[in-house]
Amino acid sequence: MSNNNIYISKSSFWLISVILIISFSCKHEKDEYHTITDKIEAESKKYHHDSIMGLENHLEGLKMIEISEGGHTFLIPERKSAITSYSCLECHSTSLKELKSEGTKKAHWDIQLAHANENTMNCATCHNGNDMNQLQSLTGNQIDFNNSYLLCSQCHSKQFEDWKGGAHGKRINSWTPPRASMSCVNCHNPHQPHFESRWPSRYNTEKVKERQ
Amino acid sequence: MSKENKKWFSLNLGSGKSSQKCGCGNEKGSCSSENKPQEHKDGFQQVFDVQMSRRTAFKKLTASLMIGAGAVSTSCSMFSGDESKEKAQIDWEEQFKGNYKLMSDEEKEATVNRLVRSYELRTGKTISMSSTNANENVLFGYAFNISKCQGYMDCVNACVEENNQDRSTQMQYIRIHEMEDGKGFNFNEADDNYYHEVPAAGHFYMGTQCFHCDNPPCVDVCPVQATWREEDGLVVIDYDWCVGCRYCMAACPYDGRRFNWKTPEVPEEEINKNQHYLGNRLRKKGVMEKCTFCVQRSRAGKNPACVEACPTGARIFGNLLDPESEIRWVLENKKVFRLKEDLGTEPKFWYFMD
Repeated sequence: MSNNNIYISKSSFWLISVILIISFSCKHEKDEYHTITDKIEAESKKYHHDSIMGLENHLEGLKMIEISEGGHTFLIPERKSAITSYSCLECHSTSLKELKSEGTKKAHWDIQLAHANENTMNCATCHNGNDMNQLQSLTGNQIDFNNSYLLCSQCHSKQFEDWKGGAHGKRINSWTPPRASMSCVNCHNPHQPHFESRWPSRYNTEKVKERQ
Repeated sequence: MSKENKKWFSLNLGSGKSSQKCGCGNEKGSCSSENKPQEHKDGFQQVFDVQMSRRTAFKKLTASLMIGAGAVSTSCSMFSGDESKEKAQIDWEEQFKGNYKLMSDEEKEATVNRLVRSYELRTGKTISMSSTNANENVLFGYAFNISKCQGYMDCVNACVEENNQDRSTQMQYIRIHEMEDGKGFNFNEADDNYYHEVPAAGHFYMGTQCFHCDNPPCVDVCPVQATWREEDGLVVIDYDWCVGCRYCMAACPYDGRRFNWKTPEVPEEEINKNQHYLGNRLRKKGVMEKCTFCVQRSRAGKNPACVEACPTGARIFGNLLDPESEIRWVLENKKVFRLKEDLGTEPKFWYFMD
């Protein structure tokens, strides 16, 4: 009889401890999420833009224009007011031949085209000879200087996709909505779009000493 | 620091160091302590392991009591100036304040005000310090484009200036690793202190810093809870609660934490006066610090200094909970990975390629 009792109490002890282990082991101390992806998915359901709108506006004083491309609406810097010699028609009202003649003031002497090769591109690939205040697409459609990304996207479609989504290019000042991103020409010189190689901006001399 | 009395054990990872030494420092013979030429007292031994007679012990005890009494008398004295009284009062309250993690908003504000006033009394200069809490519905995340980084190190520069890092030991939160193409992520052979024209042919660049893990091992090991994860995902340190044991430094699998071996020095004119209690306020000797995603900037809505400084756009920062943020687009549309994912630390720092 007493043996039976011990047996029962032993088994109930194990039963209780198994239940306890099961009920507590799957829960973390603070989070009920298994991975960060789960957490992001679950917690972003509560998200609404207004909840973080209270932060100060870091785009004040910047001239921006709103664009809408492929379902993404965001701001890019206004371009025309940043071009020193705009409007182009101030000079380009006379013919090229006349402007190139001796005695007239030289312009654009510092522009070297290093963008694709001669077979692919020259000035007229992007610039509209009939209306110098506009750019032109490969098929001759007019493109505004403010929307020059449309020109780049004709060849660099992969970069364009990444830029629209936000993987290429750079946010301006702030991570909060509304989104403001650099346009192509804010980082790349359209005439020489590659990044120059240069020296790193610092060298840690202490690290060298530590590792000797 | 000469090689002979090296205080740490370093793994020989074939990084060009030729000395074939045992960890004990002996080139020949056994490692037992009998062979050691001179014993070097380290850490607490310097304090506790000293021969002391009862007389000297009493002497030292009296001296420390006198110092304490001095502090009290300055604060209560009729003759000392108001400023030194106030200073003593601030020092007293700072000495006995609690852990920042447990403070109420009023207490946080009070300690920040004390620190600002104390700085003003000591230097005559005013700083602004914030105790802004985590924003609701925000979880910070970071993405790094390996194909974009050119190794210019502008981010490192900006980080040092923004976060008032020690100039004399050249502390840096960010490391940029120059890696050889075709060898994978081989950190042992990567160079994180290169100085030549970049990008070097046949190499790519990869930046590391604190990854602000969602399951941070550094937080688990802290014996005094001086480091913790905030609601917006930032892993932060209370520099006034840290005892400098460096357990967190050992626990971090990513080399994300830095220790102040000496009092940090920042020239007065270079000090960033826009500070946060948990961020770039001036640190002291013997405490840990690390990247905070520039808490003083990010909680005000700005991008961290490294993101702003990067000329290539390789660094993407944002709110993981905002389905329309760029960081979310990167996570959902690019092939992303994290370092040492198998450890389960859940870093909120992803790498991707074009």
